[in-house]
Formats: sequence, C-alpha cells, structure tokens
Amino acid sequence: MEESYELGPRGKAPAPAPAPKGRGRRKQEKLEDMKKEMDVGLVEAVAAERLLRDGPNELRPPRGTPECVKFGRQLAGGLQCLMWVAAAICLIAYGVQEGEGDRGSSDNLYLAIALIAVVVVTGCFGYYQEFKSTNIIASFKNLVPQQATVIREGDKLQINANELVVGDLVEIKGGDRVPADIRIISAQGCKVDNSSLTGESEPQTRSPECTHDSPLETRNIAFFSTMCLEGTAMGLVINTGDRTIIGRIASLASGVENEKTPIAIEIEHFVDIIAGLAIFFGATFFVVAMVIGYPFLRAMVFFMAIVVAYVPEGLLATVTVCLSLTAKRLARKNCVVKNLEAVETLGSTSVICSDKTGTLTQNRMTVAHLWFDNQIHTADTTEDQSGQSFDQSSETWTMLSRVVTLCNRAQFKPGQDNIPVAKREVIGDASETALLKFAEVTVGTVAEARGRFPKVAELPFNSTNKFQLSVHEAGERQLLVLKGAPERVLERCSTVLLKGQELALDTQWREAFEGAYAELGGRGERVLGFCARWLPAGTVAAGTDPEALPEVAVGLCFAGLVSMIDPPRATVPQAVLKCRTAGIRVIMVTGDHPITAKAIAAAVGIISEGSETPEEVAARLRLPLERVDPRQARARVVTGAELAAMTPGALEGLLRAHPEMVFARTSPQQKLVIVESCQRLGAIVAVTGDGVNDSPALKKADIGVAMGIAGSDAAKNAADMILLDDNFASIVTGVEQGRLIFDNLKKSIAYTLTKNIPELTPYLIYITASVPLPLGCITILFIELCTDIFPSVSLAYERAESDIMHLKPRNPRRDRLVNEPLAAYSYFQIGAIQSFAGFTDYFVAMAQEGWWPLLCLGLRPRWEDTHEQELQDSYGQQWTFEQRRYQQYTCYTVFFISIEMCQIADVLIRKTRRLSLLQQGLFRNRILVIAIVFQVSIGCFLCYCPGMPNVFNFMPIRFQWWFVPMPFGLLILVYDEIRKLGVRRHPGSWWDRELYY
Amino acid sequence: MLAEWRAFVWDPRSRQFLGRTGTSWGLILLFYLVFYGFLAGLFALTMWVLLQSVDPHVPKYQDRLATPGMMIRPRAEGLDVTFNVTQSQTWRHYVHALHQFLEPYNDSVQAARNAACAPGRYNEQPDDAVANYPKRACRFNRSLLGPCAGLAPADHYGYGTGRPCVLLKVNRVINFFPGRNKSINVVCAAKRPRAKGDLREEDAALLGPLQLFPPNGSIDLMYFPYYGKRVHVNYTQPVVAVLFANATANVEHHVECRLNADGLRADDERDKFAGRVAFRLRINRE
Repeated sequence: MEESYELGPRGKAPAPAPAPKGRGRRKQEKLEDMKKEMDVGLVEAVAAERLLRDGPNELRPPRGTPECVKFGRQLAGGLQCLMWVAAAICLIAYGVQEGEGDRGSSDNLYLAIALIAVVVVTGCFGYYQEFKSTNIIASFKNLVPQQATVIREGDKLQINANELVVGDLVEIKGGDRVPADIRIISAQGCKVDNSSLTGESEPQTRSPECTHDSPLETRNIAFFSTMCLEGTAMGLVINTGDRTIIGRIASLASGVENEKTPIAIEIEHFVDIIAGLAIFFGATFFVVAMVIGYPFLRAMVFFMAIVVAYVPEGLLATVTVCLSLTAKRLARKNCVVKNLEAVETLGSTSVICSDKTGTLTQNRMTVAHLWFDNQIHTADTTEDQSGQSFDQSSETWTMLSRVVTLCNRAQFKPGQDNIPVAKREVIGDASETALLKFAEVTVGTVAEARGRFPKVAELPFNSTNKFQLSVHEAGERQLLVLKGAPERVLERCSTVLLKGQELALDTQWREAFEGAYAELGGRGERVLGFCARWLPAGTVAAGTDPEALPEVAVGLCFAGLVSMIDPPRATVPQAVLKCRTAGIRVIMVTGDHPITAKAIAAAVGIISEGSETPEEVAARLRLPLERVDPRQARARVVTGAELAAMTPGALEGLLRAHPEMVFARTSPQQKLVIVESCQRLGAIVAVTGDGVNDSPALKKADIGVAMGIAGSDAAKNAADMILLDDNFASIVTGVEQGRLIFDNLKKSIAYTLTKNIPELTPYLIYITASVPLPLGCITILFIELCTDIFPSVSLAYERAESDIMHLKPRNPRRDRLVNEPLAAYSYFQIGAIQSFAGFTDYFVAMAQEGWWPLLCLGLRPRWEDTHEQELQDSYGQQWTFEQRRYQQYTCYTVFFISIEMCQIADVLIRKTRRLSLLQQGLFRNRILVIAIVFQVSIGCFLCYCPGMPNVFNFMPIRFQWWFVPMPFGLLILVYDEIRKLGVRRHPGSWWDRELYY
Repeated sequence: MLAEWRAFVWDPRSRQFLGRTGTSWGLILLFYLVFYGFLAGLFALTMWVLLQSVDPHVPKYQDRLATPGMMIRPRAEGLDVTFNVTQSQTWRHYVHALHQFLEPYNDSVQAARNAACAPGRYNEQPDDAVANYPKRACRFNRSLLGPCAGLAPADHYGYGTGRPCVLLKVNRVINFFPGRNKSINVVCAAKRPRAKGDLREEDAALLGPLQLFPPNGSIDLMYFPYYGKRVHVNYTQPVVAVLFANATANVEHHVECRLNADGLRADDERDKFAGRVAFRLRINRE
C-alpha cells in the first residue's frame, strides 16, 4: 500500500499514481510541468483522458446480494414458508388420492398450484418494490452529488467529485468532505476528522510537511471521505475511487447488509405472530379433527385450509404499497426520506429543535424598517414582494434613498435583468446586498443612479471607523454620503432632515433618535445610520487619499436609519402554530445573538404573544431577576454561556419550567446537550441541522433532518430525512404525513385482518359441526389477493381525521401499530359479525335450494361421499354428488359475496377511528370509492362470468343473496358509529380503552 | 425470558392474569357475552325468519335438479356388482338388500296404502281449496317386476343362477313432469367408457340380451309428479328391473342405463348420474 503513495516535499513529484519508484531519477522538465500544474492545475483534455483511464472517482458499490438471492428471500418469508407447507400438503393429498385411484378430485392439485402462484406473484411484487426503493435511494444519490472545488487550467471550478482525476489540484475547506486521497501542498489551520478511518475522534492537523513514512500517519495526506472540520487546504489528488485507502478498506469489508428499519421489524414481528397463530389454530384443529375421527390425510388438509384461511396473504403487499405511496407523497413535498421508518418516527415527534438561519428564516438580510421624518416606516420583507410599501412622498426619503443607493459597494452580477430582484445574485456582503436590493426595488435601477453620480472617492467600512463614506460628483456640486453604526453617524451630524427641511439636531431630536435606535435594535434588527452633505465642486479631488476623507465628513445632515433582519419564511409562523396545536414543542437553537433570536422566535410564534421571559417579568414587576418565579415566565432565552455553566439537571429543570425556549449563541456541542436533555425528559426529538458539527446531534436525535440546500454532506449522511427546500414548514408536513400514514396503516391492517375471521370460521364450523363446506380455499385466495387488495390500499389515501394535528404526539412505546384493541376489535367483533353474515347467507342459500339448517348439521360425511347419488334433502328430493357439488360452490360464492358486502362496510368504517363517518365525508376519498366499485365489479365478474363454476368454483348466484348480508353490513356501520361516539364522548373511559385502536 | 412469561401469565404484584386484572377480565368477558349474545340472538332471529319464509312443502328453487339422478339396486360398492355364482356368500348381501328394498313394494302393502291410478297420464292432484292437502300415491306392485320381483322368500333374484337382476330407480324431484306427457322408459346397453365402434358390438355380444321389467323398461307417467315427503307420504318410487339373461361369465361388463324421456338431457359431461347410471357387472363362475 505504501509504495504507491507520494509523500511529498522530500522532492517526489506529485505525479499520477502509481508513480515510478526511485526518488533520484527525476527529469527536470517533468518537474517544470509539475510546478505549472501546482498553480494552474490540469488541462481539461488531460483530465478527461485520465478520467477515461481510471474511471470515475467513486467507490464501486460493494457487490450486493445477487438478484436471485434477493428474489429467493422474497419467497422464503414467514408467511411464504407457511404457504409452501400448505402447497406441499395439497400436493401430498393429491398424490395420495391419485395413488388410491380416486381420479375425481384434482381440487387439491389446483389449490397447490394456486398457492404456489400466490407465493411467486407476491414474491415478484415484493422484489419489484425493493428494486424500486433501491432505485429511489440511488436516484437520490444523484440528486445531491458531492461537489469539489478544483483548479483546472488556472480556473477555479465546482465539479462533481466523481469527475476528479489523479493530479487534480483541489481546494478543501471546513465542512467539506475530502473528495479523494489528497497530498496537501498548502494549508491554513486545516484540521480533519479521520475517525471513519482510524477511529480517532480527535481532529488532526493537516499541513504540507511529510511527518511520517506511513501514509496513515503522515500529516500531509488527507483521505477520501474524511471530513475537513476547519481551515482550508490545497492539495493534489494522488488516488481516486477504489484505489483510495478507504476504497481498499471498503472492498475488503464486503457485503455489509442494510439495517432493517424499526417499522419493518415491527411488521415482521407482527407477521411472525400471525404465522404463529395460524400454525396454532391449524394444529389445534388438526388435533380436534383427529380426535373427532377424521383420517390423517383429511386432518392435514384441514390444517392446510386453516393456514390458508388465517394467513393474510395480501397484507405485505398492502403495507409496502402504503409506505411507498407516502414516501412518494413526501418527496413531492420536498422531504426526501432516507428510510421509511423515519416517516413513522416523525409522526411521533414531540420536540423539534430547529436552527434559525435558513430554516425558520429566509437566510437573506432584508430591509425591515426605516426611520426618517421622526417616524418608523415598515418595509416589505416578504419573499415575493407582495407586502405593503411605505409612504415614499417625503423629500427626506429622496435623500435617504440616494444615500442608500450611492453609499454601497455591492453590485448585481451581470446578465440577470430578467430575474426578479430578490433572486438576483449580488457581489457584496449581506447588509449591502440587502440595501442594494431594497434600493433597486423601491427607487429603481441602481446602476443608472450611480451613473448619474459618479464616485470620486470612497472609504470602505472598517471596524475602527464603523462607517463607510463616499463622495460623488453631482453636477455643480459634490455629494458626500456616509453610512455606518448609528451612534458613529450621529456624531458627525449637525442637522437633520424633516420633510426635506434641514433642522438643527437638538436634544429633542437626539432623544427621538435614541428612541428609534433602541426600538429597532430591540427587535433584533441590524441598524445603520445614513447621512449626507452637499459639498462645493472640487472639494474632494479624484485620487484623494481615502484616509483623509473622514476630515471632510463633519457637520453632516442626518437622513435616517435603516434596519435589516433576516426575516422569517412566510410559511413558518403557521407551521409553528400547527406544531403547537399538535402538541409538538418547537425549540430554537441558534448561534445568533439572543436579541435577534428572541425577535425571530417571537415573529414565528416560538415565543407566543403574551409570553414573557423572566427578564420581562422582572421589569414589569420591578423585582430583581432572582426573585422572579420561573413559572410566571413561559418563555426563556438561554445563551450558550449560561448553558455552559449549567448542570444537565438544571437544563432539564429549565426545559420543564418554560414551555417556550430559545437557545442563542450556542455551539454545536451544546445542541447535542439540549437534544439529550429533551430525550431524558421522554421526548421524541427531531433536530434540524446543516453543518458538519451538527451531525452528532442529528445522529443522537430520534430523527435528524438535514437541509438539502445548505446542508453539508456529513449532515445529510447523519440525517434520516432531507428537506430539499430547507423550509421548516416541510418538517411539519412530514409530521402530518407521518401521523397520517401511521393512522392509515393501522386502518389498512385492521381492514385486512378483519376478513380472516369469516374465512376461518367456515372451516371451524365445517370440522366441528360437519356442515357442507361453506367457503373454499380458492375463494379465500380470491378475497385475499383479488377483491380486497385495492380497498385496503385505498385507505392509504384517506384524509387525516380532521383532528390529527390537534392530538398529542403518540408514544411509540405505548401506542403500537397493531395493538390489542385493534386485533380484538377486528377479529372478535367485526370479524364475528361478518362470520354471522356469511353463515346467514349460507343457510339461506342452502334452505332455499332444499337443505334446511338443521339437516345441514352433521351432513358432511354423506354430502361429501362421492358414491352417494341419492342424498335426500329436507323435501324428500334426491341429489347426486355432482348436483350437491354445484350447490356447495353456490355456498362458496354466497359466502364470498357476504364477506365482500361486509368488507364494503368494513372499509367504510375503517375510514375513521374516532370521528363519525359523516364528519369524515363518505365520498371524499375518491380512490376508496373507486376501490369499492372495483371490488363489486370483480365480485360480479367472478359470479357471472361463464365458465367460472368449473374453473374457480364460483357460481352465478341469485340476486337476493346479495342482499342477505347487507343488514349485517349495516349493523357493522351502526355498531362502529356507536363505538366511535362512545370513544368521542367518553375519552379515557373503559369503552375508550377497550375499543379505541 | 421465562420470568417475563411467568410475569405475563400471572403477575402477583398487580394481580394480573394474562395482562388483565380480575375486574378487567370480568368486564371484558361480560362485554363479549353481551355482544355475542346479541349476535347469536340476531342469528337465531334470522334463522327463524328464514324457516318461516321457506315453504315447508315445495323448495323455493330446484334449478340444480333439472335432470334427476339415477341409481341402481343393489347398491354395490363403487357400482361394481361382482359375485361368484357358486359362492353364495358373494351375492347373499345383494339379495338381502333387494329384499329389503322391495319390501314396501309388496302388493299387499301397495293395495293397503296406495291408490290405483289411471295409467298413461300424470297423477296431478291440485290443491283445490285446502293448501297442501295430503296426496295419494299410486300403486307400484312388486309383481310388475316379473322374474325380478323376488316374491318367494328364498328367491335369489337370479344371482344363484348367473342371471342377476339389477333394479334401476330415478331420484325423486318435486313437481317433476318427465317426458312432456309422452311415455318414458329406461334403456340399458353395454358401454365401456371411451369405447369405439367394433368394441361396442363386441361388448354387447358379450353382455347378451337384457330383459327389462316392467316390459320395455317403461315408467308410467302416473308416478309423477312427486309432491314432497310431507304431503306425499306413501309415495312409491317406480323401479325398473334389468335381468341379465345370458351375460358371459368371468368378464367385466360395463352397463349404462339411461332415462329416455322427451326433453330430458342425460349427457352431462360432469354429472355421470344425471338421468343415467353406469355400473360394472361381473359374474364369476368356476
């Protein structure tokens, strides 16, 4: 490994690896080339050639599981194994019957084929879903490619890191991920985190000196995929892609499995329980059948039938489809979810620790207020300039705007005339940019104004003066304009403008000024003062030493104050309010100044109107701060310094005492402390972050949310979810979707599980009461995989029950996906009603064809005797076996239709868990309505399509048999409405505890 | 793990059995008792309504029974009438079954219970004023079966001589009027499954002549319609006897008998017993 590494300034050329061995044989001209390369980087053509030779600079994904194994795994799940066993039993039964020369019944063969088909088809579906979700992740990787700053042909370029080639000159800075193995040639305070490689978490300094022979030890090599924590460095790429150190390690450690998400684990757990119950039921009735005296083979067939009836064959497909639907929906709303589990965790979030800049705010300084004519004017801070503007008729404004326009070094980048002002790119610092854009929007073209008043001389802003001034030609006169820290500006003024009139700056004016300054500053805004003075022509000659200018700038005329702020995003206050109603606490954690932080917190509603901080309470009650009862103050602003002095217990106490918290001037490490404290209080914490240093907090959080635009790669890697638009409101959308899918998944599962009881009971009654079989296995498969799939998926489209964001976040340890009330309600109540519906319809169909209910009991042995051709019905008529068989198929169909009719009622009641169906709106969910229509159409098709009796054992049934189960459907609807009414009326009661799922 | 289970089954601290306290179990069981009580009541009610709504005399639908089934007597295992002429134990049970079957057909019984009806037409007995008035059944005298009547107690229906009788009967179907007012009869022939041309003739030759009783295997229309077991208490199903007068011994014969009536389909692909019956006959001799 070591030979191929270039270890730097001992004189070895930074040539492409593998480099020639031997340090003495070096050609002078090659060194010259190298030196050139050092400054200007590679020529594009050479880079392209090397890219072609070495391949892209990325790790080849470790050879994943072979596709056939993946597919095989889909065929070998818990339920699938049960189905295989069932199919095997069918085949054995068929084989034995065939061996006995009983050529009549190939039903078992058909069933075996059907079961195998079911396993294979659902396996294909699962495989396809997995394939697609892998693709989603893959496409996401392309969405946020790693960027590298490279110097080629003397130009600094941003290119995708995978286009780097050996010999490229790259620049790295704090927060970047090192894009390849790099030999440092110059560095300023560069530190890297090699923990992913060496396990050492201490940041390590990188510098051009070679300090060790081992590449892992030496200081002048930075490794691919490690993080640059701070400082900057320049280096040459010495290895790319799989040839990097990390690439070699990665190729060694092959076949790292993806971790299963908790929701997947929960679903698997639940599937295992179902499979276990199926085996339990099957085994029980196997024993019962043996005890009753059925032959072994028949008992085995019963076992198989019970397994088929009890296993929800369509469930896995339903769950997968529901989850991927939500992931898709979230992606459309700018939340890319890295694993589906994240959506579900998000739904249970109870605390969101949010950044300020960029997440809650627009991340651009904007002029918020102006003070002139002794009045505060409000500027428009909305993102799309849709707000109200202020009165611009005063002459003072004319002067002020002129100063704002002229005393400004920022300028638009060329070629952006068609872009809205707010979106144009500007060269200049944040406040000057804000002023430039403000001027452009309110006054008109800045460039033109500057053209009319050419600049003669200027003194840029510096921290000693704290002001900036420039002198411009204005026809006969010269105009001196100055802006800066308000107090410094005022020092240089002797007059003040009021409606265009210059007035003496008396004490009264000074007080007014102080008042306005304090007021604007108290809003967390950055305030600048502006003043000007007309000078006679030639007072300042071109080329005057800027340092001499302040002497001229005395006795100025004060024009006004302009204050700027990074305004909140328009959607944020509403989102914060939504969080509040949803029982989610929003905590602001920012590195900003406490006053600014508090102002923004108040503006977006994190500190609500009327809430006071202890300081404010103290001021109101004229008490010393120590004597203020913390309970009187809802809000609290804590600075990083205060936090550092606090014990974790004290922090928890604060978090408990004040519902509205803002942390200002905090370091990323403190963010982690805050997250941990919240978690100790039992909260599910979502954390937003963008920097490298946020990644511990993002990892520690129950759900880390990285910013798609501002976020560093480290943050994105550590996060569970990425907001493509960096907008806080998107998190709230995510929370809503998370809660919604959790609810809807519950509904889907409840719907799917319900019908297993009416599928199971026919067998139980068949075995114990020996009635002719009411429902066949093939018919069950049709219910599970054909008619009921679409309705259960359609529940994923169900709107939130209107109060979803008014409820407290769920407790993931207590409120499980499939809980006891859900299973009990589905199985023992709705399922039971459905069973009764099925049996009622069954007995009706039997009785109307001549077989009265009491006769049916115990009829099974004679009914199923293939040699019995003259079985007597309740009227004395005699039936052949074949005639009875079609009658039995009629029963299957009738039972099938009963289940379908009840399932329509079931899907309707599953629309809501708490609200009345009428409150939810019966037909709001179009997909669900379509699903019901689809279900009924499939039912009709199966019943009335010619040829069905002998293919799938469906018979055309009489019209009235469709109506027999309807009263039971109605009963389901009414009963569930009563249940919901009780749940709504008496929260916390016995009824609520037992029947609310 | 085990301790966890034990705690789940019985938690002495909270006095919980399977996760519920006694009161909790009591309440939930009471709830389900009421719930299932209600459902069972509802089910019983629907069943009662159902039984009230079905006519006790005539089934609501009979579409499954468009073609009545046919069956033979003796009811041999697998419709395989096999016996050895010289070994009486191989055919005694057939004879016994036939005796038993024909008991109600004794002329004396028929004369006592049933009426002599006009032959050649349906014996329709409409309810004039009284609904479901008991119907009289027509006589089918055992003696009509000729040599197959087995009138003597020691009669062996030809099984002892190698000239066995097999009785054919048509399943009872309520309000079934076969033959569209034209006479109906039963025909029998040798028919091996999936046999072709020459083979058939060969089979027929082996089977020899068949004698049918009543003559021509005809079933009189007066035995129809059947009014159901409630009102038509003594209904006597008509029977046709086939006498295999000279069937070749030690050969397996395939015989198919079918009901020959106008408008009756007896060629259902799947139902081999609708309007026809096929059986095997083997007479073994040493």
